[in-house]
Amino acid sequence: MYRLVPSVCSYCGTGCGVLFEVLDGQLLKTLPLKTHPVNQGKLCIKGWNLHEFVNSRMRLQSPLLKVNGRFHDVTWNRALQFTAEKLKGIIEKYGPDSVGVLVSAKITNEENYLLQKFARAVVGTNNVDHCARL
Amino acid sequence: MTNSIAEIEDAACVFIIGSNTSTSHPLIARRVLRAKEKGAKLLVADPRAIQMSHFADVAVNQRLGSDVALLNGMMHLILKNGWEDRDFIKARTEGFEELKETVAAYTPQRVQEISGVSPADLEKMSEIYATRRPATLLYTMGITQHTTGVDNVKSVCNLAMLTGNVGVASSGVNPLRGQNNVQGACDMGGLPNVFPGYQQVANPEANAKFTKAWGRPLPDKPGRTLPDMITAMSEGKLKALYVIGENPKLSDPDANHLKHAFNNLELLIVQDLFLSETAQGAHVVLPAASSAEKDGTFTNTERRCMRLRQAIKPLGNCLPDWEIASRLATAMGYPMSYRNAEEIFREMAALTPSYAGMSYERLGIDGLHWPCPTADHPGTKFLHPVQFTRGLGKFHAVQYQDPRELPDAEYPYYLTTGRMFAHYHTGTMTRVSPALDREQPTGYVEINPQDAFKLKVREGEVLVISSPRGRIEAPAKISPEMLPGNLFLPIHFGENPTNVLTNSEALDPLAKIPEFKVSKARVEKLVE
Amino acid sequence: MKDKVRDWLETGKVDLFLGYKQVDGHPLPHAFSKENLAELGELIVSPARYALEKLATEILAIKPALKIGILGRDCNQRAVNVLTVHQQISPGQIQILEVNCCPSPLRKHAACSTLQPQTYGAVKLELGVDNNMSVAQMDQFDQESLYSRWMYEFQKCLKCYGCRDICPVCFCKECSLENNDLVATGGLPPEVPLFHLIRAVHMAGRCVDCGLCEEACPVDIPLRLLYRKVNGIVKDLFGYETGGSHEQPPFSLLGESTPPEAEPHSKAV
Ligand code: SF4
Ligand code: SF4
Ligand code: SF4
Repeated sequence: MYRLVPSVCSYCGTGCGVLFEVLDGQLLKTLPLKTHPVNQGKLCIKGWNLHEFVNSRMRLQSPLLKVNGRFHDVTWNRALQFTAEKLKGIIEKYGPDSVGVLVSAKITNEENYLLQKFARAVVGTNNVDHCARL
Repeated sequence: MTNSIAEIEDAACVFIIGSNTSTSHPLIARRVLRAKEKGAKLLVADPRAIQMSHFADVAVNQRLGSDVALLNGMMHLILKNGWEDRDFIKARTEGFEELKETVAAYTPQRVQEISGVSPADLEKMSEIYATRRPATLLYTMGITQHTTGVDNVKSVCNLAMLTGNVGVASSGVNPLRGQNNVQGACDMGGLPNVFPGYQQVANPEANAKFTKAWGRPLPDKPGRTLPDMITAMSEGKLKALYVIGENPKLSDPDANHLKHAFNNLELLIVQDLFLSETAQGAHVVLPAASSAEKDGTFTNTERRCMRLRQAIKPLGNCLPDWEIASRLATAMGYPMSYRNAEEIFREMAALTPSYAGMSYERLGIDGLHWPCPTADHPGTKFLHPVQFTRGLGKFHAVQYQDPRELPDAEYPYYLTTGRMFAHYHTGTMTRVSPALDREQPTGYVEINPQDAFKLKVREGEVLVISSPRGRIEAPAKISPEMLPGNLFLPIHFGENPTNVLTNSEALDPLAKIPEFKVSKARVEKLVE
Repeated sequence: MKDKVRDWLETGKVDLFLGYKQVDGHPLPHAFSKENLAELGELIVSPARYALEKLATEILAIKPALKIGILGRDCNQRAVNVLTVHQQISPGQIQILEVNCCPSPLRKHAACSTLQPQTYGAVKLELGVDNNMSVAQMDQFDQESLYSRWMYEFQKCLKCYGCRDICPVCFCKECSLENNDLVATGGLPPEVPLFHLIRAVHMAGRCVDCGLCEEACPVDIPLRLLYRKVNGIVKDLFGYETGGSHEQPPFSLLGESTPPEAEPHSKAV
């Protein structure tokens, strides 16, 4: 029912240790992890409010497909099938280097690994970059 | 970072250049202040009078883009006074004679002309940095987001090597990473020329290794960087773009040029938490789970790989990014069937020497610093203790170059961009937070009180800022932190997009980092 | 201790018990319940303190029917008293299993296992205020020195609001620190010394001297000392002992706007 889950702040590159307070599957609050070697039980204003973006009402909740200039909710199957077919078509017509993949400083190592693997092994291009220069 | 965050506390000198540390990395600012309180000398070089400047023993406001001159000037004085570390230079470096020749021309008078820093301050800084060891040097985008970004970084390294401040606890050259997992994205091969662990795609051995592991022939020619992709998009050569968790429409320079490039795409896939400016233009949008809704690891700025643990179920139909990627790969005819993030971590660690000794179990809560090559290796707190990766450390003699744009009669102001303390990056993750939004709900332009007086503008009145690229409006924030003739725009606010003004043509030739930190601009009061 | 908690859970004296458990080498707060009695073997007293009564109050705001037990030191007890006095919880909603160690002058008998005095750098002692100082020692500085020392400390503030967010007795729905007419927003440091003085005034008759705010402050501002000073005045003038019992009427300074409803400000969005 009530749990505290250790995690890491996902704002800046300092990587402060946090505890997420979870009640009945809902994220209540964020606390500093007191004994963490990086932040020693302290956080900045962003870390203290880490749960707020997770709980935001602005979050996307369903895959969206644009038809005639407007977004429509679709199932995962539909969204992924559309994407895969379009991508395959483009690769066939213009070659793999006509595709680019922008991985991210906001996602995990595992996900970055998998997405560059996707670009290199599945699409067949080294057009992989991220926005860290910016 | 070559050194770890905790080590900062025990430095005898901390030199901050081009980093508004208390705003962008508050918990690193903590360590700097503690170092200071334990007796370290603090040097701050920043075009603005930032919070950390108040605590500095020497604080200077160099002109925007004049860092190379400032650093060469410091090296000039260090050599002149014999403060360099001769043993270190002899045993561990090469290229010293060239450096010596180059910096000989950077006399304090010349440095003052270029940077505006007085000879007296320059002398004090040089002496403190060279003689109070160990000295640690911290920098961020204020150093890299210039056409001379790579030169700036080289100069910073020259200075550290000249004084032997490398490979020792509490010393080093420490770039502070802006976003939580920039380090990890690079480590994992999120770059056009390398596989995970910086193994070159063009290296036949590395290429063969990954070809074998992934079961597909892999391209061996380095791919396009982001700015090159954008050019290729405008030229119609790049037809599909898959954007994950980023908002390049707001974070890239030169919004107008970008708009045209994006309109050329046949397929734009955006995977994100929010319908960002970029997602709005997508053909398909894939909703991703947040960091509280999945397992995985982040690698922070000190190379410490740490675990995220799933706290709650993904919202609605959201999926973790790794699961979306697996499903998409499967739909493309390359089956991926990972049961969890840990399985992916194991596959990655087996292919990445610097992470090879890590496992979820070993990471625990504290995490491990890479390189961690074997299961019994304790991780590496500071780099280069004995040798540089390429043997001897090389001095790269660098000449000062003006920023691409300097103010002129038509655009008399210097314009620079950056962060404010309550927001993050393009604001997609912070502006939705009520507490953070309350702290700063709108964009603004910071301007010096004298300039504001000249323009007869009061706090909160709207100013029009224009550059050769475009114009935006933003309310004035009058701040003594700004030098006269300088404007500052925070990057977080889509309704006042700074990248309408900045220059995408001005890139560092090697790193391809745009010059966000210096543009010329004009500013007027809005007449309604 | 474990037997007692088992007894409390089994007999229904409490529905949930907040204690600590070691996770990967870190003592973390953990909720024990009747459903997972086996876990009780892992219950520990943590050297690192979390405001368990604050966590319990947050849970109770959403589930008022629950009874929650916590592992508590004297500071936790005092905070529970203040929370009761200010009607954030009802008497008996939070049960405390005592493990005592309090160094506060509000409680004279024991030494605290966690609040070992930290050592601070020489420059801080020269320019700022030593966090280990007593109010009496601080009072020996002359006016000018006192002023410059506190200003030095306040100027370090990173406006994290951690001092407020961690405080077990901060529960106002509308926080004066967030009143834009009182404190300007958008810059660092926050308005000095206004930001800190507003909080200090609001802690009069509330602060139970637990020291958590100071532990959460990223820049080592001696917040507890500041609030001790303010509470000392309250005690001298009004004879009010903060957190002494849960039966005394709430103490409030003129102009303080604690909303009378028993609703914490801390609801998630
Ligand atoms: S709490 Fe603040 S300093 Fe720490 S990682 Fe998050 S944003 Fe960075
Ligand atoms: S010491 Fe600090 S955290 Fe504890 S009650 Fe007083 S103000 Fe709140
Ligand atoms: S905890 Fe410290 S830094 Fe944070 S707001 Fe309070 S006084 Fe300022």
